[in-house]
Amino acid sequence: MEYVSPEGLRLDGRRPMEMRQIRGEIGVVDKADGSAVFEMGNTKVIAAVYGPREVQNRSQQMNDRALVRCEYTMANFSTGDRMRKPKGDRRSTEISLVIRQTMEACIMTHLMPRTQIDIFVQVLQADGGTRSACINAATLALSDAGIPMRDLVTSCSAGYLNSTPLLDLNYVEDSAGGADVTLGIMPKLDKVTLLQMDAKLPLDIFENVMQLAIEGCKAVATYIREVLLENTKQLEYRRGT
Amino acid sequence: MVGLSIGEKHFIQGGIAQDIRSDGRKRLTPRPINVKTGVISQANGSARVRMGATDVIASVKAELGRPTALQPDKGKVFINVDCSPTAAPMFEGRGGEELSAELSVALRHCLLGGKSGSGAGIEVSSLVVVEGKICWDLYIDGLVVSSDGNLLDALGAAIKAALSNTGIPRVNVAAGASGDEQPEVDVSDEEFLQFDTSKVPAIVTLTKVGKHYIVDATSEEESQMSSAVSISVNRQGHICGLTKRGGAGLDPSIILDMVSVAKTVSEQLINTLDSQIAAAEAGEDES
Repeated sequence: MEYVSPEGLRLDGRRPMEMRQIRGEIGVVDKADGSAVFEMGNTKVIAAVYGPREVQNRSQQMNDRALVRCEYTMANFSTGDRMRKPKGDRRSTEISLVIRQTMEACIMTHLMPRTQIDIFVQVLQADGGTRSACINAATLALSDAGIPMRDLVTSCSAGYLNSTPLLDLNYVEDSAGGADVTLGIMPKLDKVTLLQMDAKLPLDIFENVMQLAIEGCKAVATYIREVLLENTKQLEYRRGT
Repeated sequence: MVGLSIGEKHFIQGGIAQDIRSDGRKRLTPRPINVKTGVISQANGSARVRMGATDVIASVKAELGRPTALQPDKGKVFINVDCSPTAAPMFEGRGGEELSAELSVALRHCLLGGKSGSGAGIEVSSLVVVEGKICWDLYIDGLVVSSDGNLLDALGAAIKAALSNTGIPRVNVAAGASGDEQPEVDVSDEEFLQFDTSKVPAIVTLTKVGKHYIVDATSEEESQMSSAVSISVNRQGHICGLTKRGGAGLDPSIILDMVSVAKTVSEQLINTLDSQIAAAEAGEDES
């Protein structure tokens, strides 16, 4: 099947180096300490952060830093065919672990000992790149909660189909069987916190694809910074200064 | 939710007794409802309902299936509710299962009729394609994104809105199929039939705090409740389902009184809902 037409257009009309339309919004769940919605094309994800708060399970309490927990759930209606078991399956457990490790690397946990920070991510619509959307939403939610972080963490995926590196794969392109690289970076510090790939790629092509994903992440970071800046302006305006 | 102090509890109970609640509403005034339809593009129909800080999403997916032997001329409807951990940390893992099960059962009582399918609020006979062989199965999924009390009413409203937004694809059945074989069906991608929701009821929950009952309780007010009665009423004013929750016993005359109060309140609620749904659909068509 042809994923990149001879004119250089993908199945949904994008160019190979073009990302899907992204949209982020802060403060969607009133009861949470911090929350955000993040959309990448048709993939839509809500993240809610509760914390820092007292540790619920005393045996897990750490005396020198905060405990970060994460849970990833997909709604029944999020995928094309209705899922029967939205929680507890192995893919959800793996992604929960991945998100937790990624966010833990950037949260300054030593500033909040003996506390717990819960990050809950709920996928409303899945169309490829859910991992990346979740990390971006979690970054926004953590910022909304005011939790000290070393840097933002942004994530984007890239792949290689029909001999072309493609940025931000959707579900159809992801299931095509080509390589799928998911990357998470801290843009200002220029450090990679998440790197996952499936299928196989020659090493020089892998470098190209990874570079493309880094560009994608930096673009997401610029957008996230704008959203946060706009939010801060609104807060200041409401405060009356 | 953080625990309430004794002073706060007295404040809530006293306010309700004097017909001024913590947010200024009267006892029988609901919070403003905000409805958005078509929020899940992959579903046949969907809606998102916000009542104060309570935020729920309902989605309807239609799949072809086989009718049951007992009711060969009716389609099937399955209702399931899930509580997302984003609503409260205690819903993580399996913590939300009890509440999800309670809400699912209450919704099934209110919207789907008895075991024989009679008296259902949702018209299932319009879902049959070929009698005895092919029918539409509707999977209605509710998701609680943010919880601030009155989840049942919000879910009922969201399901009503999602059903109004639902388009069932037109099916062309190949002629000439005989006996036990499954007929060939061609599911159209273009033409959709709008689902008829004029008979779908709305759910009103009356929460009893002290000696009075209130409509649309927040989670703080719900923590003070002695019992609650959820009544589903349709446009004609007929009662389609009734559920009582809570430990305290209720005098039968009080229940009858609550039912009549629910009928008046539900009339307003159905009107508000219908106008909000119409506005949401119109807004969606334009965009």
